Amino acid sequence: MEIIQNFIDAIVGIFRESGLMSLGWQNYVMIAVACVLFFLAIKKQYEPLLLLPIAFGMLLVNLYPSIMAAPETTLMSAEECIAAKGTVEGYATTIMDGVTYYNVPHYGGLFYYLYQGVKLGIYPPLIFLGVGAMTDFGPLIANPKSFILGAAAQIGIFVTFIGAIFLGFTNAQSGAISIIGGADGPTAIFVTTKLAPELLGSIAIAAYSYMALVPIIQPPIMRALTTKKERAVVMEQLRPVSKLEKIIFPVVIVVIISILLPDAAPLVGMLMFGNLLKESGVCDRLSKTAQNELMNIITIFLGTTVGATATGANFLSFNTLKIIALGLIAFMMGSAFGVVFGKLMYKFTGGKVNPLIGSAGVSAVPMAARVSQKVGQEENPGNFLLMHAMGPNVAGVIGSAVAAGVLLNVLK
Amino acid sequence: MDLMSKLTISASMLLTGFAIVFGVLLFLILVIWGYGRIISSAQTKASNRTKKRAKIEKIAVKTVEKSGNMAAPVKTKPVITPKTSDEISDELVAVISAAVYSIYGSKDKVKIKSIKKSSGRSAWANAGVLHNTRPF
Repeated sequence: MEIIQNFIDAIVGIFRESGLMSLGWQNYVMIAVACVLFFLAIKKQYEPLLLLPIAFGMLLVNLYPSIMAAPETTLMSAEECIAAKGTVEGYATTIMDGVTYYNVPHYGGLFYYLYQGVKLGIYPPLIFLGVGAMTDFGPLIANPKSFILGAAAQIGIFVTFIGAIFLGFTNAQSGAISIIGGADGPTAIFVTTKLAPELLGSIAIAAYSYMALVPIIQPPIMRALTTKKERAVVMEQLRPVSKLEKIIFPVVIVVIISILLPDAAPLVGMLMFGNLLKESGVCDRLSKTAQNELMNIITIFLGTTVGATATGANFLSFNTLKIIALGLIAFMMGSAFGVVFGKLMYKFTGGKVNPLIGSAGVSAVPMAARVSQKVGQEENPGNFLLMHAMGPNVAGVIGSAVAAGVLLNVLK
Repeated sequence: MDLMSKLTISASMLLTGFAIVFGVLLFLILVIWGYGRIISSAQTKASNRTKKRAKIEKIAVKTVEKSGNMAAPVKTKPVITPKTSDEISDELVAVISAAVYSIYGSKDKVKIKSIKKSSGRSAWANAGVLHNTRPF
């Protein structure tokens, strides 16, 4: 009889502990959202390397919220400690009002510890290390004027800031939301963890979703702002860049940016360190590790833990809708300002610059440059804009890091 | 936050952001353009110096030949080298010759008479460019 009672108690206990009893409706909605993201990542292949870990982190935290639980310490009397743990040995003590209490630790969930890399701003610079090791700044060095387009595409960030302020967000939250316009995931995460960590899930998901949607969002804007003649411009071949120039570039950039904008130093510093590893040609092993193993490991940690911040209670709010709308505006404005400045360069150079490369100033590398190439080839199939668009594209990475430095400096 | 403070923070952020981002990136343009010029001119000077040295050596050899102080030339079979333009290096000629030799071997008598750089992009090059720049 006792055996059956124990069996029933165990089953009831398991049922009470199960998700069926503890999960709210918000969790089930978030599980559905995670499934939609799985579909977009796997079937549509929208930024799958990031969207898939984000979606899985979201799924897991809504099934088992304790996976993000912070560690705690419970104060127990000697009797309670013995009843719970069987011994008092090995536990630190606290004496209050003459009574000795034992500090019994409860460890945090797996994602809590992995999330510290996001919270402390460790993962985004490490991702930038890998990005730097994969990036060829040659097109930008050959045509430094591309920096103008990289800067123009950042205007969207500051215009969206105004929209966020008027929608009722605080200054810091507005800064974090507006950085979505930089179209740079690690920068968006870096800024958000410092300015508005409570919005991290919504901002990261919006940023990566829009980056994945670059081929859909940008072409109509590019076509609307340019004429057929401008889109058909064939640009002159870029000059070859010597190895010495490529080696000096990261050192010069890191020195200038770190002195002028110290808040951008972690991002730009790691980006340029990765690039120096590649260009120096003497650290092949380190460069390959930064590009592959390290980048992949950090991507897994970053994706899953950022996804895990999107719990039902955090994510399902009117603010998320506002962030998604503002993010889209920021992104569209960035692309539009890039094209408008491209048109200005077209005018000033007497028609030598194709304005389509301006939209690549948003830093979604290399997707934005590929969009310029695609739209350009629609007008002239023999036109190869890719390398010309890579200049503004990598300038956009530096530009968004500079914009992040400005936001952090002013709003922190 | 009242309307006035919202307007103030919005305007100051727009102005600050615009000024700093453009200021810093314009400064970077100047720096990169400047050091690019310096490196290019230094490299041009170095290559001119090498060319000059080669010219001097050539003149020196000719002078020695004229004065008759040179050792008697060793008679060897004349080596037939393919006609090439200045743009094609000896290394490239060696690579192409080795590739031809590896296909035909020594049994087939094959001569490379000339190696020319084609003016336009070949069908293979076009295919390669298209493959590498195809957007999606």
